[in-house]
Formats: sequence, C-alpha cells, structure tokens
Amino acid sequence: MVAVRTRPDRAVVRPEGSGPPSAAAGRRAQPEQTRARNPDETGVIERDGVHVAWERYGDGSPTILLLPTWSIIHSRHWKAQIPYLARHHRVVTFDGRGNGRSDRPTTVAAYDDTEFAADAIAVLDATGTDRAIIAGLSMGAGYALQTAVRYPDRVSGAIFVGPSVGLGDPIPRAGVVPFHEVPPTFDGWSRYSAAGWRHDWGAFAEFFFSQVFNEPHSTKQIEDAVDWALDTDPETIITAENAAYLARLEADGSAEKATLGYARRVRCPSLVIHGDADAITHVSAGRRLAEALGARLVILAGSGHDPLGREPVKVNLLMHEFIEGISRSPG
Amino acid sequence: MSDGRARLPDEAGRLIAPDGVGIAYEVFGSGEPTIVLLPSAPIIHSRQWKGQVPYLSRRHRVVTFDGRGNGASDRPTEPEAFSDDCYVSDVATVMDGTGTDRAVLVGLCTDGVWRAIRYAVQQPDRVLGIVAFAVGVPRLTPSHPHYVASGATFDDELPAYEGWNKYNGHYWRQSYPDFARFFFDEITSEPHSTKLIEDAVEWAVSGSVESMLAEAQVTFPFDREAVEAICRDVRCPMLLVHGTEDTCQPIARARRLAEITGAPLVEVEGADHMIPGRHPVLANLLIRDFVATLALEVS
Repeated sequence: MVAVRTRPDRAVVRPEGSGPPSAAAGRRAQPEQTRARNPDETGVIERDGVHVAWERYGDGSPTILLLPTWSIIHSRHWKAQIPYLARHHRVVTFDGRGNGRSDRPTTVAAYDDTEFAADAIAVLDATGTDRAIIAGLSMGAGYALQTAVRYPDRVSGAIFVGPSVGLGDPIPRAGVVPFHEVPPTFDGWSRYSAAGWRHDWGAFAEFFFSQVFNEPHSTKQIEDAVDWALDTDPETIITAENAAYLARLEADGSAEKATLGYARRVRCPSLVIHGDADAITHVSAGRRLAEALGARLVILAGSGHDPLGREPVKVNLLMHEFIEGISRSPG
Repeated sequence: MSDGRARLPDEAGRLIAPDGVGIAYEVFGSGEPTIVLLPSAPIIHSRQWKGQVPYLSRRHRVVTFDGRGNGASDRPTEPEAFSDDCYVSDVATVMDGTGTDRAVLVGLCTDGVWRAIRYAVQQPDRVLGIVAFAVGVPRLTPSHPHYVASGATFDDELPAYEGWNKYNGHYWRQSYPDFARFFFDEITSEPHSTKLIEDAVEWAVSGSVESMLAEAQVTFPFDREAVEAICRDVRCPMLLVHGTEDTCQPIARARRLAEITGAPLVEVEGADHMIPGRHPVLANLLIRDFVATLALEVS
C-alpha cells in the first residue's frame, strides 16, 4: 500500500445541540435549528382570514398528513418522523393556528377543533391530495377524530398517539387550580392556569414538557418543545383554551360520551399508540379509544406522553407498517 | 448488567497476553478492511464503541476488545501490567489472535490513540490507517491545568475532595462511583449527554479500582522529543478528530500532531471529549469516509 497523506486542513463541524444550556424561564425562542430533511414544497392556505402554513416532503404514495396538536407546539414536533416517512411516502404537515408560521387569531371560535379539521382539508386541497392517512398526537388525536368523522371520503386511515380525548383514568396532580383562578404560588401544576402562563410562560413550558417527557435522557426533547412553545405566547394559548374540543360540544359536558360517539363513527382503519408511563393522559385513554375504534392498539412500555419525540424509531416503524398495510389492502 | 445490544458479536473469545493477562475480544460482521476499535481502559471497556459497532459492521469486519482492567478481560493489580508496552502488546495480541493481518485502528484518548500510533510504528505493514478521536498523545503539549494540579496530589490524603481533587487515589478507594460520575460529567459537558454519562459511569464502576490505581502508578516512559519522533515515524494515513471544548485532551495536542504528521484534523466545534459516544453519526461517517479513501488508495 502506498501511504498518501493529505494536506493538513481543518474542517469545522458544528453538531446539533452544541450550544450552551439555557434556562427556559424568560428565554426567547432560538432561531430554527437545521433540519435533517427540508420540505420540497411549502404554502399557506387562508380560511376566514386565518393563514395556515403547510409543508410537503417527498413524492411517494400514499400521502400521510401529520396533524397539529395543542398549539403550544407546532409542526416540528414531527421532526423525527418526517425524514423517515418521506423516504417512503408523501408527507404533509401544517402548523396549527396559534403557533409556528400560522396566524394567531384572537377569537376563541377560531381555535375550535372543527376549524383544525377544516384546515386539514384545506391543506389536502392545496396540495392536491384526494385522500390521506392522518396522524395526531395528544390533542391532535381529537383533531384526527373530527377530521375522520367529518370528512370520511378524505381519510383512508388514522393514527392516534397518546390520545388526549377526554377518556382515561384521572392522574392525580398536586396543586392544580381551576384554569382562571390565581394559584397561591406558581409551582408545578399550579402553573397550568391563565395566571401561571402570564406569570412565566417559559417556566410553565419547562415544567409541562418535563411531565410530557418524563423518561430519563429527554433533555433534548424538552429543550426543543420549550423552544416551540416560546414561538407562541400565553395570550394566544389562553384564547385557544376556551375553544370547542370534542366533549365541550356536548351539552352535558360528558367527555367520554362525546369521544366515544365520534370514535364509533370512524370508518377507516386506525392505530392507537400509547405509552404506559404517560403522565399527561393515562394509558387507559388509549385502550378505550382503541376499543371504541376497533383499532390496533400498541402500548409502549415505559414511554411517556410523546413517543414521537422520545421513541421515534419504534413509532416510525409502527406508522410505516400501518401505512403499508392500508396501501396494500384492496380499495 | 446486560443491556440489550443493537448488534450482537458473531464471534467472541479470550486471548492470553504474553504476561499471562486474559484479553476478551469480540468480532462483528465481515468485509475488508477490518476495523479494530481500541479500548480506553481501564476506566471503561469496549462498550464505549456501541454507537459505532452496529453501523461499521454492516460493511466491515469490526474487532473490539476489553482493555486489561475492565470488562471481560483480566484485572491485574500490579503497575507493571499497565506499562505502555503492555498496552501496545495487547493490540498485537488481538491482531494476531483474531487472525487480523491488517486493519484500520480507531482509538479515543491516550489509551486508544497513542497505542494505535505506537503499534503502527512497530508494525507498519499491518496498520492501514488510524482514526484518532480526542487526540491523546501525552507530552505533545502541556496537559490541562486541572490534571497537572490533581496529578501532583494524587497520592496525598486531602482534607476534602472537591472538583478535580477527586482525581486522587485515596478518593478512588473511598468513593470511586462518585469520582466516575464527576469525571464523566466533566469530560462530557455538552447538553443532552445524560445517557452517555450514565453508560460511562456504569462501565467505570463495573471495572476495577485496583487496576485504576495500579495504572495510575505508571510513569509515561517518553519525553516530548521521543513522542514526536515516534509520531513522525507513522507511515499510514491518519485522520484526527478533536472537540474544541475537550476537557480531557487539549486541542493543542491534535493541532500539534497534525502539524508534525500532516494528518488532516477535523475540529468539532463545541464538542467535548467523548465524540464517538456523543456524536455517533458524525464519528461513523468520518470513519466510513476515511476507510473509503484507503480502499481507493489500495486499488
């Protein structure tokens, strides 16, 4: 062998997350980090004067529409799914109204779950998508239910991850106060209140996402989610907090009745994924939703509320397998 | 503690070094050239390469071994067993014992990098190239001040063991797990490193404190001129990779080695010491690309 030496040179490589740690309280959103996969096409739809920004990745088939969740975060919460799924499928995302590159309307009704579902359909129209498999995390599962029930011809399958849809056993939480009451101190769950959000939005986000990502070694996921929360503001999320969401449509306020009613009307194949260590929405919610849907249920041992971020490989393979199953089935 | 592995070895065994110490090795995959991943022992063992083995073994035969004093290898307690020559000899033992005629050597810090360099100088026909992470070539430039200070009092009983004073023989005997936690916290200072730190501490506490103490008694046998002369004798291509924030090995050492050997240096901005563990994708692609250039040169 001939040993060939290259000239001395220096390449500077900046790994992701190499910046100094920063405290959430009082900090500002960071410039968007580099992406593993950039969108092939982006656009904005407008409904009743509200602009909603969407992105498309890949050209495969079928299309999978990754829905927004609670507007405390935006479509980057799918960052670990997009690069993988876009290798096989056509992936469309959009920022839920109230965060990201979408508008932050100031009326409560603009945040009704039916508006998110209508946005989903408008995004399908804008991207020339007849039908899609839809997926939602947490509150996004409620938006998925609304979309599947209201627009059955546009939805060929639905994936519900950590569904926060008014089902499931309660999780005891110290210090919780009614949302519009001012707690005696701002600490832990008492931060989950309009006053707590106004007092210190970043500190709330830091606390909340430490509960969402309650598995060890979740510092990056928490940092990301807090950053996305800092892209919006407490007044926007307080406005959205009073909007209609599944059970709130029911006169008697029965969450379970409303959700199960929706679930029974879903006609497409569905998949439910839920972590059995979920500290936001008890795993029994996933069980009950799957039962009502007649869906396949996958319980992830040791996982918290957002396995999209914390267990991306497992979730991606489950999603891919589900999507493939639908594509292969006749009709 | 047995953790689930992404890739299990295809072959595992035990070799006996010339001084009678048993060395445990594993082989993964097939495909030329073989890549030998050197251990950073005795503080940790071959699982330090867990982020590399599954990827590299898809295309290459990968050999790992536990350094003496940790893992499944023997844990001698006399300082002679940790001489510089013994470390270099263990590379030879593993190359010979696994039927590896020639290989690319990959190492981290002194235990990996310096021993790869010495072996390459001793056996130039058997080393195709070296990838050196956290370029640990002793004496090439001064050590970090915290090592100089703690090294000076290593054998002393101190009134308190705070910070780098935990780098102390008495403290190791009394609170080795706490030292390990402190040490890996310090040299893995980037955000989002909790898993790597947890792993490294586990590998450290599963090793032998007595071996660590024995190793600490060994005086490095070369002065700076001799070290530089050995480095200049390397005939194979090298790739140097060093974090700009390395708390264990000063980046000046990597720059100096690049200067005297002409080897390219990749400076990873913001990275601390454990680049293969903390930035596995970056490390894996650098190794892959380096090995690919060797293949071109051979053909």
